[in-house]
Parts: sequence; C-alpha cells; structure tokens
Amino acid sequence: MLRYTAMTLLRMVVTFFVIVTLVFFATRLSGNPIDFVIGQGITEEDRVLLTRYYGLDGSVWTQYLSYLRAFTDGQFGLSFLERRPVAEIVAERIWPSAQLLLTSIALTMVVSIPAGILAAIYRKGWVGSAVMTVAFLGYAVPNFVLATFMVLIFSYVLNWLPVVGNGTARHFVMPTLALSAGLIAALTRFTRNAMLDVLEQDYMRTARAKGLPERLVILKHGLRNASITVLSVLGLQVAALAAAGSVVVESIFAWPGIGDMLVRAALTRDYPVLQFGVLTVAIAVITINTAVDLAYAWADPRLRQTGRT
Amino acid sequence: MNRLLTTTALTALLVAPAFATDLNVAAANVSSYLDPGRDHSNVGSQFYFNTFDPLIHKDYSTAEAKWMPGLATEWKLIDDTTMELTLRQGVTFQNGDAMTADDVVFSLNRMYQATFAPYQVRSRDRLENFAEAEKVDEYTVRIKAKRAEPLWETLLNLQQVFIIPEDYTKGLTGDPKVAEDSDYEAFSLAPVGTGPYAVSEFVPGQKIVWTRFDGFWGDKAPLDTVTVTRVPEIASRLTALKTGEVDMITNVAPDQLALIESEPAMHAAGSATALFHVMIMNMNHPKLKDARIRQAMSLAIDRDALNEALWLGKAVVPSTHTMEEFGALYMPELQTFGYDPEQAKALLAEAGYDGFEITFDTAPGYYTNGLLAAQAIQEMWAAVGIKGRINVDEKWSGNSPDMMARNWSNPMYFADPFGSFGVMWAPGGPSESEGRFNTDEAYKASWDRFRYSSDVETRRAAYAELMDRIQKDPPVLPLYRPYESWAMRTGVTWVPQAGHIPYVLDFRAGSITVE
Repeated sequence: MLRYTAMTLLRMVVTFFVIVTLVFFATRLSGNPIDFVIGQGITEEDRVLLTRYYGLDGSVWTQYLSYLRAFTDGQFGLSFLERRPVAEIVAERIWPSAQLLLTSIALTMVVSIPAGILAAIYRKGWVGSAVMTVAFLGYAVPNFVLATFMVLIFSYVLNWLPVVGNGTARHFVMPTLALSAGLIAALTRFTRNAMLDVLEQDYMRTARAKGLPERLVILKHGLRNASITVLSVLGLQVAALAAAGSVVVESIFAWPGIGDMLVRAALTRDYPVLQFGVLTVAIAVITINTAVDLAYAWADPRLRQTGRT
Repeated sequence: MNRLLTTTALTALLVAPAFATDLNVAAANVSSYLDPGRDHSNVGSQFYFNTFDPLIHKDYSTAEAKWMPGLATEWKLIDDTTMELTLRQGVTFQNGDAMTADDVVFSLNRMYQATFAPYQVRSRDRLENFAEAEKVDEYTVRIKAKRAEPLWETLLNLQQVFIIPEDYTKGLTGDPKVAEDSDYEAFSLAPVGTGPYAVSEFVPGQKIVWTRFDGFWGDKAPLDTVTVTRVPEIASRLTALKTGEVDMITNVAPDQLALIESEPAMHAAGSATALFHVMIMNMNHPKLKDARIRQAMSLAIDRDALNEALWLGKAVVPSTHTMEEFGALYMPELQTFGYDPEQAKALLAEAGYDGFEITFDTAPGYYTNGLLAAQAIQEMWAAVGIKGRINVDEKWSGNSPDMMARNWSNPMYFADPFGSFGVMWAPGGPSESEGRFNTDEAYKASWDRFRYSSDVETRRAAYAELMDRIQKDPPVLPLYRPYESWAMRTGVTWVPQAGHIPYVLDFRAGSITVE
C-alpha cells in the first residue's frame, strides 16, 4: 500500500508541473492582454507604458520565470484588473464552488446508487424500466436547459426558489439539481450495469448458498464488487464537473464560483487569475483522481499488491 | 376595518424616518476595481457618482450644461490660463478626514502630473492641457492650464478628477508620506470619497454595497443601503426582479421590454445612450486607400433599417458625429452620413471596385446586437455589389494593418464633441496611433481651433470642417446611439438622467424614490 501511495503521489507532482508549464504557454496563445485589460484604441505610447506596468515587456522566458517565482510568495501574482493577489481572488471563489460540487456529489450518490441497484434487481419489472427512463431523460437534457427550465418554473412562475447567489440553503436547490442531473443519470446506468454483471457471478450464488440474507449478499458481495466501476465513473464525472461543468450553471445562478471567475478571466485575458484558476482546478482534478485511485486500492486488494492500476 | 388598520400602519411605517430603505440591484457587470481616475469603462461609470464629487457639479437632470457648485463653491479665471477655485468648507470624506486644499491638489495632480501608468494613459487623451494644481490657502486652489481652455467647467466635472483623500490614499501602503503606485492600486479596492454613499463592501467583479454617509455635505441620500450584485444572465436578472430578490436590474435588452411592460409588478426606464456604436474603416489598408470605396461602404448602410429591426426604432441615428448633450456644439444640421445605395454603386464603379472581399470584424457578444448588425451590413453591402465577409473574433483588430472594417464604440466621456469624437479622432489620438486613420496639417489646424478656441462659433465652424473631412475621406460611420434600459419593481422610480455620461447609477437625493 505504501509503495502504491508513493507512486500515486509522484505521478501527481509530475502531472502538476506539466500543467503549470502548459497553462502558462497556452494562455499566452490567445492574444495580448493589453487589448483586453485596458480597452480598445490606445496610442502606441500608452501601449508601451501599460505593457511595462503589467510586466509584459520582458521575453516569454523572463515572464515564465517570474510566473514560477510567483508560486513561492504564496500570492501567485497580482490580477491585471483587480491588482490584488490572485490567491485572495481564488480563495474567495473556491468555497462556493466546492460547496456546490460536494452537495452535487452527495445528491448523486444518495440517489443513483440505490436507484442503480434497484434497477438491476428489478430489471424486468416496472421499477427497473421507470428508473432507466428517468435516467435516460436526465442524460439527454443538457444542464443549462434544465437550469433555465427550473428557473422559469420554480422562480419566475411559482416564486418558490431564489435564483441569485448562494446565500441560503434554498439557493442550493436548483444549482445542485442542475449540476447533478447528468451525473445521477450516468451513475445510475453504470451502477445498474455493474450490478448486473456482478449478480451473475458464481460467488453471489455461493453467498446465497451459505445462507446469507439477501440484503447482505447484494450490499456486501454485490455492491463491493461493483464499486470499482462505480468509482471510476464517479471519479471521471466529478473531475469533469470540477474542471468545467459548473461554468454555465454558475453563470445562470450568479454563483460566485471558480467557473464564473475562469470565464471572466479568459475573456479579459487576466493571465494571472486565469493561470492560477486553471491550476486550482487542475489540482482539484488531480486530487479527485488520486482519491479515486486510492479508493480503488481499498475496493480491490489486487491493486494494493501490484502497485499498478 | 382590519385592512384599514393594516394599511394605515403600513403607510405610517413607510413614511417613518426610522424605516430602513434598502435597494438591491442586479447588474450585468460589476467593476473589477473602483478608481474614478483611471477608469473610463462603461461598467465603471455606473458606480462612481454615488461615492465621489467633482469640484464643479452640474444639473444632471438636463442635457444642457448648467454648472453648479460642487466641492468648489466659486470659480473664476484670474488670467487666460489660471482658474482659481474657492473650496466648500465643512466637507468630510467618508473615512472622517476633513477635505482641504491639499486633498484637491493631490487628486488633480495625480492626473495632471501623473506618474502612475494607468493615470498617465487616462489623462493624456483629455487632460493634457492641464499643467498643475496648486494650493493658495486651506480653501483656495489654483489650476494652471498650458493654453487658454474653453472647457474649464466640463473638464473639472469629469469623473477622472473626482476628489479623493490624500492622507488616506498615501497611507494605504508603504511610506505614508509618499504616493506609490501600490497606494493607488490599494485605493481602487477600498475607495473613499465625499459623496452621499460610502462603499462599505466591495468584492471586485462581484458585489458593491453602498451605505448612506451621514456626514455628506449636500442633501442626504434617500437610501440606507444599496447592494449591487453581478448577475450576468439577463434571464436570471429578470427572474430575480420578478421574484422580488432584487428591486432593479441593469442592461435589459430591447426584446425584453414587451415582457416587462406586460408584468404589472415591474416597469422599465431607458434612453438612447450617449454613445455611438460605429463602424470603423481602415484608411491605410492597401485595398481601401481610395476614399470612394469607403464612402460606398458607408452610403450602402441603411441605418434607419438597422434601428427599426434591431432596436425597435428606439435607437437614435445621427446625421453627423454629434449628440444633443453637446449643448451649443450640438450640430444636427450637418449631413455627414447618409444612406444612398445608388451613389454607393456609382462610387464603386468610379473607383474600379473589382469585387474583392471586404472583411467586417466583430466580437461575438461585446456590443448588444453587434453581430446582427454586422450580418445586416453584409447584406446591405451585397445589395450595392460589395462582397463582404464577417469575421467573428474576440480579438481587437483595430490596431491591425489587415483590418478593413469592424465595429467599435465612441462613448461620450464628457458632454462636448471633444469628449466623444475629439478623444477618438484627435491628431495623434488612438485611431491615428493604431494606424487606421491619417491626419494632415489642415486637419490639425481645424482640430486645434475646434479644441481650443474660446469662441463658440469658431469652434462650431471648425467642427464642421472636421466633419467635412470625415465625409470626404471616411474612417468611421456612427451607426446609432443604442437604446439602453433598466427595469425595476413597482414602487421604485428611477430614470437615467440626460446630464450624466452613459450608464451612471445615480441614487442621490432627487434621483430615486423607493416605496
């Protein structure tokens, strides 16, 4: 287990450095921030002045070095627009996004794992069909359509739920549903299929033959073995959600999160914010993947021994 | 009876002075920083007027220039280039500091003799004629101009020279006796002025909270607090207004107006914004050097049709680069721009246009209706035989030698043609500097007379000469003043006032009532 953990962590560090470098060069491909930060139509003299002010006058390598150096002071540079430490800006945004992500994951697991198991057990009955129909619908409707539709019904027409910001628990209802709908749909289907595979296995028959109660057979022998599939799907989906999935939903609900910040930073070419924002997301994705890797090891003893996935 | 009692009680509550009046505003955008000096963005303009004062105020309810005492109670020219101002006594900043001549001199010189790069940039295009401000005594300052200045009041009313506190600003970072760049940067995150509302919370790009400043020198602010939150989606802003989460929303698109008017609990207010959406053309593009081609590109565009189709006829199509806010310099009688497809065809034939492709650049969402206008223009060009191609790109191409035509805007930064046309199309200004516009000695001479002559008639005549030049060798076509709307719940009464620059959210006494 120790060796496996060490390998996983090492992989994490290497991935991180590659991302740090990629982010720097990728953001610079998209145009000169002076055009965006200071507005359009400025004289050549002023352009030179501002290029120096924003520290964009050195060569790319000088800028790359000062970018790497910015990691050491814990501030990660100053935002072009706001002129305050990027770390402060990201810190403001990270918790709202994390809250939304966590409630969505929680809702997804609470709904889709039982639903998937039910759909597997009662695959021939109406329960199974009903679950799969809803899951199909959830999969087919994009989150921005669902979000807009919910806003129209529950806020505009019925006035039950607030639409702006993250002030109270009621503010979480629609954004969480919008974010988890796709996840729930996917995870329900995968849980069902994984359970179906497992339910056919010989050891399930053995467990039943030993006289174990059906509940224990399904949850311990069945779900434990199906969990590898469930975990990898959940890991992938959550990573995708953390990376970009929340952008539209955050925008619709005026949610002061990372996705919204990234879009604005990209549009205004606020490199320092964009770079660190992308890194934060990258770290989140790496962390999630690492957590999933470690969870595999927990779920599958074979991985602990070989140190390979 | 019960109902009567309730109503009476409610009315009593509403008129009682102790009743807190709070306003929640959902704005499409919130500034990333708040410094009136370096900002001239449309997003920023929304927020400065409630917190800061200029030396000279005006009657903002009218487009006419009626100057009124601000932080200066009197002002007089003591020679051709020197203005002496008597400052108002008993003014305090929102942090409790008393305002004196030192603060005024500091605020003005931070722009007039700028060392901070963003200030240098901002003062170059509009404040270049001002040499320095100096203190005479605690309540008297003198401002020296380089040349005789015909626009003293206008340029002392400017957002960029709103007054900020000296000691507070200098003390924000580093040496409290020295104004460092980092002081100005810190100020823009924690701004302090003399206006009726203090900024009590500011989350850049996200939220601004104003609290009434009881030490304000003028009429007390009508609202206790105002919270402006960024809600980027128009559908969400409208819904928030409907649910009562917010009392007012900004940036309502024209196609939403019918919906708002159909709802009994809300209403809209709007005006044709003091800003032109324009088409710019690159004089120096090898294929567009012949002025007749650019004239044809301009004459082919039916701007009234654009107005009807995109703005429900509520935008304003100008005959020349002029706005009624310019007062004596408003010159609608000039016919600089028009629609004449036949003449466009004739000019193209004369110039020997061989059907080469003309690109029109536009960002996908920067200007309301920008892409739709571009598509319509492409069709209108096709009708006279110009082969147009729309190039959608976020990138600003106005400084690229390959740019042929694109959309842009010419806002009114202050109420004079110098504040709109003058800033953008000055000799050596941004357009010439970006290489898509040329001036010569004759243009410079006209521009100089227009900018500096003290005689209004001379200025008008010089401006007419400039417009004549623009017509003969066009670098720009103002399309229209876009119609901008705000919506609010019933009980909130607010309208955009004609005396302001575009987008100002004026919540001072007399500008808003909330029931």
